[in-house]
Amino acid sequence: MQFGIKRKSLFAFAASVALLAGATDGFAQAKPPVRLAAILPLSGAGTFEGQQGIEGMQAAAAIINDKGGILGGRKIEIIPYDDKSSPEEGVSAARRAIEQDKVDAIVGNMFSPIALAMKEVTRDKILHVALAPQHPKVTEEGHKWLFRLNETTIMRGGNFSKFICTKMNLKSVAILAINDDYGRSEAGNYGKWLQECGMQVKGTEFFQGTDTDFNVQLTKIRGLQTDAIYVAASATSQGATIYRQIRQLGYKGTVVASGGNMNPKLIELSGNSIEGVYSVSPYVEDVENPIAAAWRTEYAKRFKNATSFVAALSAAGLEVTAGAMDKAGTSTDYEKIAAAIRGNQWNTVLGDMKFNNIGQGFLASYIVQVKNGKITTTARAN
Amino acid sequence: MGAVFFQQLANGLVNGMGYVLIAVGLTLVFGVLRIVNFAHGEFYMLGSFATFFAMSLLGVHYIVAVLMATVVVAGVGVLANQVLFRPLRREHEFTILMVSLGLSLVLANGGELVFGADPKYISSPFADDAVELGSVFLTWQRIIVLVAASVLICLVYLFIRFTRMGKMMQATAQNREGAALSGVNIDWVHTYTFALACGLAAAAGALLGPTAVIFPTIGEWAVLKAFIVVVMGGLGSMGGAVAGGLILGIVEALGANYISIAFKDAIGYGIVVAVLLWRPAGLFAPRQ
Repeated sequence: MQFGIKRKSLFAFAASVALLAGATDGFAQAKPPVRLAAILPLSGAGTFEGQQGIEGMQAAAAIINDKGGILGGRKIEIIPYDDKSSPEEGVSAARRAIEQDKVDAIVGNMFSPIALAMKEVTRDKILHVALAPQHPKVTEEGHKWLFRLNETTIMRGGNFSKFICTKMNLKSVAILAINDDYGRSEAGNYGKWLQECGMQVKGTEFFQGTDTDFNVQLTKIRGLQTDAIYVAASATSQGATIYRQIRQLGYKGTVVASGGNMNPKLIELSGNSIEGVYSVSPYVEDVENPIAAAWRTEYAKRFKNATSFVAALSAAGLEVTAGAMDKAGTSTDYEKIAAAIRGNQWNTVLGDMKFNNIGQGFLASYIVQVKNGKITTTARAN
Repeated sequence: MGAVFFQQLANGLVNGMGYVLIAVGLTLVFGVLRIVNFAHGEFYMLGSFATFFAMSLLGVHYIVAVLMATVVVAGVGVLANQVLFRPLRREHEFTILMVSLGLSLVLANGGELVFGADPKYISSPFADDAVELGSVFLTWQRIIVLVAASVLICLVYLFIRFTRMGKMMQATAQNREGAALSGVNIDWVHTYTFALACGLAAAAGALLGPTAVIFPTIGEWAVLKAFIVVVMGGLGSMGGAVAGGLILGIVEALGANYISIAFKDAIGYGIVVAVLLWRPAGLFAPRQ
């Protein structure tokens, strides 16, 4: 156990050296840049999501900077911090960003447990724009300067469960979810909703964020002989293995992926085994949106990955933050910036977006299905 | 009921055999060189990535890629031994431990830099086709893991037991100074041991890789499981590693099924605590 601690502190040291190196980049410019802390998982199971988040933000920032920046010529500078897919590390990254590096705002979070812990550090201290977490409490128990872009599990699930019940012709289901705040709330809510609309929920199994093999859980689920399996896996690396192992164990039923967790990389990694899988997503490429098209071009110029929902969500988070700072005429008067975010409609790579009083974002979302290896939109979900 | 039991038994057996393959190298390096190698998991990771790149860049067949990965990573292991561990042989054990920890960080973070953070899939032709044995589904890949691991472990056992080098390894493990005095070339013994251990870790990565997806930090998982197995079986004991790995795999699968999946990892640590209370040096500890 002793060694685990050593390992962590070495990581922290390496990360802070990297940060110091990054922080000196901005000096050459005439006007000081607006410095945004991007606190994302850059190691651990969520590494890929974190990388896509950084890339999405950098592509969006490049577009804004090319047009002259915000607040009369200030460029946007993104400073990456690694939350290592863990709440403790997320909290310490937020502290460093606020106290040592004195950033202008925090834009980040892929997973609920980290956002839930981090919001207590940012509470009434700094603008905190949470990107992908779906746990309702992130905003329900948020603070006056906290905003969240993604739909909550409740908002998304209400619509999606209705679709599963009425359009998919299924009688029974088993749930496989990650054992964290997000997975547990997904499992609890869908278990309830699907039961309420007449489906039989025969079992719920959980896996850990560090698992690489899911045969044990899936064997148990296969034994329940359900028409469908509902999978709530937030990391692409785990999702891909799950979809493969479902088919490797000979399961022939319908598979449904939890909302927002469908992306081109997942399809590439899962191969044929993800064919026909349903999900719900606010980011689809087959719906017309010029802002998204420009962003995709910029993204393709800079990065190898295909764009995904989490990349788009991160880009939208940056667009909203930068736009609101510009409208409010300040990068540090959070009262004014927060009022600007609440008071306006935002055109983002995810389409038109609004925020309510507690900072919850509203966006369009779609029912999608994997057909011939492509994410295909089948209906509007909300 | 029976169907689930046998499937879980098969799952546990395959996972356990994977653990064995990783743990045998770790226990060898400890037994012969007295090094607790924290970087052992990273050689597992390198094995899986070497397989991936051999297939995608050189276009070779999966089986060829596995062999290439094993040989190349064994070479990397020899290099690591020459550059890092050999010069430090007379230093305090703690120094060597820190160096192995440093090596593991460099390899894992270097892996993210060089290979990229995005997960990758080794497209083995055996990965998706399953065989039905009664109610038990096993992919060919998992059968290959079982067979290849068994063969490799037997070969390593025969090598250590009957070849000249194997006997020198045993002598070095028992008494380094005594072996050196009676003419054993300790440098060669260390080189061979490292090559063998890293080659086995790489083979494990190459064989288990296609059963999931790979990313540069999978070594952390591998070394953790290997440590549980080695501590349970007795540090430095090969028989202990084999028994420990199989026990861990099977108990994890059955325990998760019949007790609770939430305890899957806790079960592993639970067995270790129980074994250590009962036999503090591990199940199969070599007599001191």
